[in-house]
Amino acid sequence: MRRTFLLPALALLAAASSSAQTFVFKAERWEINDPFKLDNSIPPKPVTDAKKGTINLAKGTVDRTTNQGGIEATVNRKLTDVTEVIWPMPARLREAQANVSRGEPAKALDNVEAVLKFFEPIKNIPGSWWVKASIVKLDALDRLENDAATAAFLDNFEKEEAAKLPEVATQIQLARLMQRARKGDHEAVAKEATELLTKIEGAELQARLHIVKGNSLLAIKKYEAAMTTYLRVPVFFGSETELIPKALLGAARSFRGMDSPALRDQRLETVSNRYLYDIIVSYPVSKEAEEAKKMLPKEERAKAEADQKKVAAGGPLPEGVIMAKPKLADEEKVEGNK
Amino acid sequence: MLIQESRTYKLAKAALLVVLLAVTPVSGVLQAQTRPLPTAQKQEEDPLSILFKAAEKTFEEKKYKEALTLFDELEAKAGDVELKLKAVLTFRKALCQFFIKDWPRAQEELTTFLDKYPKGTEDFFDNDNRRGTGELLLIETFSKQGKWELALARLEKIRTNTLARPEERVNAFTLSAQIIVDRAKSSPDDVKRAAFAQAITLLKQATSDGIATPERREAAYKLVEMYTKLGLTKEASQLKNEIDAKSNGSPVEVVRSNFQRLEIGDARFAAAESAADENFRADFYRQALTNYQGTLRRVNLSSSFGRAIESKQTELETMTKSFPKPNPEQAANLEKVKQEIAQFKKIQEEFNANKDYDAFISYRIGLCLLELKRNWEAHVAFLDIFENSPGFSRISGAYYYHVLALRRIGRNTEAQTKCKDFIQKFPQDEQVSSIALILGDISQEREEFPEAIAHYKWVQANVKTLTPEIAEEIDFRIAACLFSQVDWALAQKAFEVFLKKYERSPVRQQVLYMNALCSFFQGKYKETKVDFDKYEQEYPKGQFIPDVRYRQAIVKFGISPPDIAGTIKLCEDWLKDFAKDRTDEVIAQTPEVYTLIGDANIRLADEIDKKVKAADLDVRVNAKTPDKAKFVEIRTKFEKEKEAVTNKAIDAYEAAAKSARTNPQALEFVLSELRKLLPGRGEHKRMRDLFKEIFDWNHNDPKAMTYLYEVIRSTERMGDMVEFAAEAEKVRKAASAKLADARKKVDELERKKGVTRPEIDTAKEAVKLLSAELEAELAKVEARRQVSIADQKKRALKILSDAVSESINDRTQEGTEKLIVFLAEKLARKVKRVKPGAKPEPGAYTTADAEKELTKLLRLEDHRDSLVAQARGFFALGQLANLTREPDKLSANFAKIAANFKAEELNPTILALVGDNLLAKGDNKKAAEYFAYILEHSRSSEYADYGFAGLAEIAFTQKKYADALSLCNEAIDNNILMSKELDLRFTRARALAELSKYPEAKKEFEEIAKTKEWRGEKTAASLYWLGLMAERQATDEKGYNEAIAYYRRCYMTWKKYEVWAAKSYFGAAKLFANKLNQKDAAKVLLKEMGDKERIKDTREAQEAKAFLLGL
Repeated sequence: MRRTFLLPALALLAAASSSAQTFVFKAERWEINDPFKLDNSIPPKPVTDAKKGTINLAKGTVDRTTNQGGIEATVNRKLTDVTEVIWPMPARLREAQANVSRGEPAKALDNVEAVLKFFEPIKNIPGSWWVKASIVKLDALDRLENDAATAAFLDNFEKEEAAKLPEVATQIQLARLMQRARKGDHEAVAKEATELLTKIEGAELQARLHIVKGNSLLAIKKYEAAMTTYLRVPVFFGSETELIPKALLGAARSFRGMDSPALRDQRLETVSNRYLYDIIVSYPVSKEAEEAKKMLPKEERAKAEADQKKVAAGGPLPEGVIMAKPKLADEEKVEGNK
Repeated sequence: MLIQESRTYKLAKAALLVVLLAVTPVSGVLQAQTRPLPTAQKQEEDPLSILFKAAEKTFEEKKYKEALTLFDELEAKAGDVELKLKAVLTFRKALCQFFIKDWPRAQEELTTFLDKYPKGTEDFFDNDNRRGTGELLLIETFSKQGKWELALARLEKIRTNTLARPEERVNAFTLSAQIIVDRAKSSPDDVKRAAFAQAITLLKQATSDGIATPERREAAYKLVEMYTKLGLTKEASQLKNEIDAKSNGSPVEVVRSNFQRLEIGDARFAAAESAADENFRADFYRQALTNYQGTLRRVNLSSSFGRAIESKQTELETMTKSFPKPNPEQAANLEKVKQEIAQFKKIQEEFNANKDYDAFISYRIGLCLLELKRNWEAHVAFLDIFENSPGFSRISGAYYYHVLALRRIGRNTEAQTKCKDFIQKFPQDEQVSSIALILGDISQEREEFPEAIAHYKWVQANVKTLTPEIAEEIDFRIAACLFSQVDWALAQKAFEVFLKKYERSPVRQQVLYMNALCSFFQGKYKETKVDFDKYEQEYPKGQFIPDVRYRQAIVKFGISPPDIAGTIKLCEDWLKDFAKDRTDEVIAQTPEVYTLIGDANIRLADEIDKKVKAADLDVRVNAKTPDKAKFVEIRTKFEKEKEAVTNKAIDAYEAAAKSARTNPQALEFVLSELRKLLPGRGEHKRMRDLFKEIFDWNHNDPKAMTYLYEVIRSTERMGDMVEFAAEAEKVRKAASAKLADARKKVDELERKKGVTRPEIDTAKEAVKLLSAELEAELAKVEARRQVSIADQKKRALKILSDAVSESINDRTQEGTEKLIVFLAEKLARKVKRVKPGAKPEPGAYTTADAEKELTKLLRLEDHRDSLVAQARGFFALGQLANLTREPDKLSANFAKIAANFKAEELNPTILALVGDNLLAKGDNKKAAEYFAYILEHSRSSEYADYGFAGLAEIAFTQKKYADALSLCNEAIDNNILMSKELDLRFTRARALAELSKYPEAKKEFEEIAKTKEWRGEKTAASLYWLGLMAERQATDEKGYNEAIAYYRRCYMTWKKYEVWAAKSYFGAAKLFANKLNQKDAAKVLLKEMGDKERIKDTREAQEAKAFLLGL
């Protein structure tokens, strides 16, 4: 019993400790050449090890050369026979994620398309990065605010097997909500987001949904509600570092909306500026930091930039700044691609 | 507080640990018993086999006592079986004893197993011969009996045995660490810490080769626990992250990891609470926060449970399908899985029953955020509890800290609502008195004293569990509120009752003092003296002594007749005694003491003045008597005396003003006195110097501008010196005697007979000459006076220029614009205005001169690099043009600002005024940029309404009526209506009309039309719009007539607003012609319209002409 219980875990652990890209077939495991690993030639070509399998997308096979008794022979397996994929997160997918958070959706699309293409034939196999790449693509399309392209992508994505996974289904629902928000259907989006929040689990999705809800509340000028919605992200999902700058920016905007001569004593403009400052100091390479710089009065912008440099150089955190602890990178998690 | 709450957590954790035990088998032997004895397999009827099966089944059912009896029986019957089978029986018996917790017998049985069977169970169960397990169980048995050393010795053997299986060695390390910690459980702290350190060393060895196996991960979990207990949170967090990274994501690991994170958070929080160093404390709170934020919420944990149950259920279903007719072993396995599912469900239910889980996490996050001064976030964290866990067991704590957060973010009204809500919902809660006290405290702080008293009295009446300290505090607070609302008699009564009730109160000194003050403020000076004497007697060095002595002086001054000398003496003593006391109270009181000296001297001067007046009367009565000189002398003496005391009073007031930096009330009073005294005495320089000194204290003080105005005014007045008047008087006096003589001579000559005309003319000529000489002399004096005045005005401008120049570079200084306008006003007054087109007189001060001077005074050359200074330059010129009524120049200068400066380089005043001008000129794009910047950055400024009104107007002109309405509503709903209320309401009404929301629009237009203060163009426009709306809604004659009635009211009453009048004329005419078939009436109206001078050039008039031709 104990063995049976632990075996999958041990297998996964073994897989995680192995850096090699592997396809598992019914009765064997093949190491596969990583098509994303390039050599130094100009133009760079994929690094190929003859002993490892090479994917032939055109034929839908994995080919490998064997040498038995001095005789070389090419053996192949069908991609449809792959039962499991053991593959660390592709660098281009990681880069695509970074592109999205840096506000470079076009570059993100460029990177993610390559990953999608590679994993397309094995998209539903456990360990495939296709679903994750699709979600990154969805993010990139969302950042591009190209509703037509997003809608087309979503229509296709929804037909996929992966779309039935609860987390993916929620992502799709979220993307649809964001589309509707862009079309100005904010009242309904805010309401639906509230309902959806009670149903979803993952911290990242929760945080995202809070931001969508906050955006809609902000658009319909429900500043107070928007502020509390945005602030829930740094308060309860502090490790979702990619989303925190968005939430802080939203909160800063909400505070500005809340401001009025009657509330002068609450110094909401200063509160708002403090959040913008936090974004610049704590998340300097985010798109939101650029936005925050535009929003901050220039005197305070200069201070924030100077403080950011000090922090980057190892200086102490300014008072009140909460540098969120980064969550574990997905590639560190074995279950990341499950 | 957190430690207490941890108990609740512990309950939840205990429940979850049961899950861990259930899903992580305690020992691996349970699986293997499914394999029956080989002999039993072959000989099914063998009674031994049957007995073994029965024993195994009973064992599986956890009926260990019965199983033990069966194994004993089996052992007795199976005399000559294989050695390994004997070993199996011994092992099973040992297990039974172990589970029965009969530690001595378990020890005995396990020792037998290990000593007698060197090959253990061999291959009976599987490849594991159970010797390793036996060892560990024996060690556990030792430790359960407190035989630590025996246990450790055995473990050491395993640890150092290189032939032992690696995982057994790892387990040995882990168990050794656990035993070392258990051994030190009831030891002093230092021994415990040493044990933790030793355990850490062992666990580090267990995990030295990574944490890739379950055994190693178990060791790592223990290591995290040890690190946490030793406060090595950084190490704990790092290792924890490593474990999480290697986690296989099983629900069990998820749950375990979650609670470990929580523990680390708690440890960090506790460390923060006890940290002496502020910097460390913040770091600890941050770390605690990160851990709390990383914990899973109920929904996630429930899901982990759900997944665990689901996987078991799948296992059960598969087994059921695979074994439709299970044999006894299979049936036993099925039963076991069912039991596990039931157990999971039970634990899940227990977890679900603990409703506080999420709330506790929010609560802890809230506390960390409060400590980290992230008050808005703390507010959100506590809000989460109220929204999602209203039944939280620590809801009172949540209320308390939420109220604290609300107060910190300046939301006192909400804090009060929260307090009231709490009191209403939880009247019996132990926190109710604290909350009610806070409620009262907020009211008290906001100076809403009756409300505060009501809250305090509510506490007295309703809270039955008040501690004596709180009861005393409430009594004091009530009295203090009565005192603060100047209800002296009631306050005094309350203080007296308090003093009787709480003779040894810690606030007795304060109460005695305040009680005396009650007498003082009621003008009961006798009682005041008695009360203050009592205070001085009880507290000769009390904290209120300076004030008491000052009040004693006031009492002397207040009695009738006042003891002026006594007052001044007490004040002077006060100044002497407290000269070296630099406490805030004494510093603040010093100007009051000086003021009292001033007041006393003024009272003396008033007394002397009476004597002066009496002496003056005597002088007049005795004007023609020889006593006149005597009375004049008396009068002069009194006048001198009066002058001397007045001077003393002024000196004292001046000293008061100069020492009143921290006492604004005293400063205001004394400055108002000096404003009355100094200018009348021509002491403009003294006035100027004093105000300059005060202005220089803080140029950013809200009152600084007032002081500066006074400096400017005094400086200007300094030019008109008393000396000029005296000199003129002297000249006049000198000339008047000569003139009188000369005129007398003319009179005499005219009366004298025989005097010739030429003689008279000569005499008259002499008079004329003297007059001319006098005039010339006076003119000289006046010229010098004018030069002096001009000179001082120049100096005044220089002071103003200095003040402007000081802040012209600072965009955030909004007062600078006010100074600029002030400066522009000064210069505009100098400009000699001429009619448009006319040339100014040669040498006259023109607008061009004013512009040059203004540029020079703003020192724009010195601030070439400052964008905002340059913008302010254009703004100043624009303001000057506004004051000299040159609208084109105004627009030109504002247009330069628009062309050269981004919104972020300007401040709200310029943005608003320039934006308004741009809007009027039709540059909507730039205007929108400026207004949007105001809305983005300066919603709380006094120009915020310009932003809303401007953007709404632009949206309206772009036919974005919903946007316009939204902007207007936002401004109106939030009362952002300083100068633009009418504009905002008018745009809102128009937007409503365009959105066909006629009833609301009508209400709004009617409100504008009937408001007297708004009478003007918007009234005319509102009437037109009311007509237009009536026209749009009309379906019959009555409707059209209603529209015409509004149009008529407009063009009849508001002809001077030609645009609206023209629209109304034309609108009415069209209705007559097109809808009511009254073409004649339309023609008459259109002719009338065309005859109106103001209207005939409007666009509507042109259209009307064409329309008329078609009729």
